[in-house]
Amino acid sequence: MRTLVRQCWPLLVMTLTTALRAQQADPDEFVALEPVLRAALQKAAPFTVTIETVGGARRVLKESDGANDGQGDTPPKPTPPPQTPPQPAPDDGKDKKKPQLQLQQPGFHQNQGRTTGVVLTADGWILVSRFALNFDPSTITVTLADGRTLPAVRKGEDTSRGIALVKIAATGLTPAEFVPPPDVKVGQWAFALGRTFGVDEPTVHIGIVSAVRRQFGRALQIDAYTSPANYGGPVVDVLGRVLGIAVPLSPAGRDAGVEWYDSGIGFAATIADIPELIDRMQHGEVLHRGWLGVTSETKYLGPGAKLMAVPATGVAAKAGLHKGDIIQEIDGVPVANSFHLQMLVSSHMGGDAIALKVRQASDDAPVDMTVILADTPFEERQQKKDAELPPSFPLPEKK
Amino acid sequence: MTRRVLVAAAMLAVAAALTGQDFGKAYSFPERKPHSRVEAVIDKLLPSIVKVHGASGLRTIEAYGTGIIVSKQGHVLTLEQVMIQKDRTRVVLYDGSVHMAELLPEEPSLGVRLLKIDPKEVDGELQPLWPPTDAAPLYRTGQFVVSLGNCFRLAEFSEKVSATFGVVVGRANTALRYRMSDVKYDGDLILTDACNNPGQYGGGLFTLDGRWIGFNCRLLDAKETNTTISAAIPSRDLLPYLDEWVNGKVTAVQAVVKKPVYTGVHLFEQPGRSSPPAYVDQVTADSPAARLGLRPDDLILRLDEFSVRSCKEFRDVLARFAPGQTVKVLWKRGNEVLDGAMILAADRQ
Repeated sequence: MRTLVRQCWPLLVMTLTTALRAQQADPDEFVALEPVLRAALQKAAPFTVTIETVGGARRVLKESDGANDGQGDTPPKPTPPPQTPPQPAPDDGKDKKKPQLQLQQPGFHQNQGRTTGVVLTADGWILVSRFALNFDPSTITVTLADGRTLPAVRKGEDTSRGIALVKIAATGLTPAEFVPPPDVKVGQWAFALGRTFGVDEPTVHIGIVSAVRRQFGRALQIDAYTSPANYGGPVVDVLGRVLGIAVPLSPAGRDAGVEWYDSGIGFAATIADIPELIDRMQHGEVLHRGWLGVTSETKYLGPGAKLMAVPATGVAAKAGLHKGDIIQEIDGVPVANSFHLQMLVSSHMGGDAIALKVRQASDDAPVDMTVILADTPFEERQQKKDAELPPSFPLPEKK
Repeated sequence: MTRRVLVAAAMLAVAAALTGQDFGKAYSFPERKPHSRVEAVIDKLLPSIVKVHGASGLRTIEAYGTGIIVSKQGHVLTLEQVMIQKDRTRVVLYDGSVHMAELLPEEPSLGVRLLKIDPKEVDGELQPLWPPTDAAPLYRTGQFVVSLGNCFRLAEFSEKVSATFGVVVGRANTALRYRMSDVKYDGDLILTDACNNPGQYGGGLFTLDGRWIGFNCRLLDAKETNTTISAAIPSRDLLPYLDEWVNGKVTAVQAVVKKPVYTGVHLFEQPGRSSPPAYVDQVTADSPAARLGLRPDDLILRLDEFSVRSCKEFRDVLARFAPGQTVKVLWKRGNEVLDGAMILAADRQ
């Protein structure tokens, strides 16, 4: 025996080292995620609800029909007084050239299906994806985790985050806990939950946070699959706390952005940082991204952003901006270049006041001015119209 | 050019000399031993997964799929599809050998079919995955799974089928559609995010301890969400069919001829228009609907688990039920959602 050990000791040492090394890097370590996932699922189950809609306008247009829903030239709206629903845009005559509405076979019947929602408050406020209310359904119901189905009333929405609020008459609900966006880190686990197939447990897709502060600081990007089956559902962390609400927001496509469903590029609108917007939505306001309406010269590399066009009817002209002006600062932040200007403006909502420091072409001394941002017009929110993607459908706005 | 060919030829000659194998197997080099559970389970299961090739012709029909060996006598379970034709169906085993398959009767309610190859022509012994474990709980949401199948016919000859990894997304009992037509399938489905692509169907869904939990369906659309789903038939639902045709044990299940049901509901519908939401127009007195308390102008929202978003869906969903069955109805009246149980009657016509 001793001889054997003496002869084989190098082999023994090698085996031991290999075993130790294997222990250090356990390829099965990830299996420990399974119970974590189960626990997060159970934590999130009570506030994950089913949204169903019936009826509504079923309008499916081709992109070439200029499907702008008659909202293309919404004039900039002055500061919306809080707690008042926005006024419908006055008809400026452009609608009279009505495009020939042409029905086409959609890739799938958008919105004619169940989606998911998240309980925001114990007294019946439910966060949903705007996708769920796409066609202004006549009936919205919410099915709670305990199986009760209640009718819901549509309230305000935020088109820049793709979220909307509905209200049900209920009390004592379990609300979700929301994680503040600064606490979210790229690479952390993100589980996208849905409750659409009417069974006892939410469905789950796993992934990680792919990026933070997408859509000008409004959403996280995740690689867990999101689709109409879990839009509106919570994207939770390992503790079952909500990182955001799964929404279709592909910037390359149209407003709904559903072309990217189940693609590994998903978005989760962050909620914890917008209590005042939630409050406005609860009062029925429809919120849009802020819009300065100027064109800046991309060839001018800074510092500052040089304006190439300032439409006479826009908020920028009203505030006193002219072609050739250079915006040097916004809210005290030095503007690096035209892309930076876009970021600084777009992170605001329509109706927000921003303080500008501008060097006017006529003058050397910078001038301070305040601009109240307009809402981003509908066709701008659609972004690239000829994107190399299957056509999706415009979202009629809530009037 | 010539030099490159010469170099390649020389390399091949060296490779052949080293491995002592013919050219066809030159690239099936020995793989390293598995280090993780995922690797180990895939290694263990691959010999039981076969490639199935069938009749082609139309561009829209994939003439390939996957199958699972379920007996040592040569039974192979696969998805019933157009390409499965008599005298045209071939099974390619793990070792690359091709076998003509005999067709056994299909199971229409599950959309699966057994093939049979001659075990005497097989080199060595078949490694069946049988029986699918029926231990409860079979699977649960969030569980890690591996899906095996020949997606996009990427595996030819002795190449191994593809393995994809994911979790059990959930369980669904939903109305289904394949392309533009309805799919008659009544059972539960396991949803997964382990990729299921054309060709992957007929393969299996397995847990990391090697249990066979699901049989991959083709890509279907769920009507509840109008999205394409990656789904598998729970393997325990296959047991009666497999028992019957592999073991000759016929479970005494009488084929139920479904009679049309009668509710007494008349919906508000105009012919020739797209089907509107299911608003009640009239309720026949002393009918199941009248006993339930349905009234004109009620909007029917759901029958059991199935959403009813149009008059057509109301009829489609009702067709799933038989007279005498109780169905839970959810409807909206004014701004209230009501529910109740309706006992379906037989259609008198």
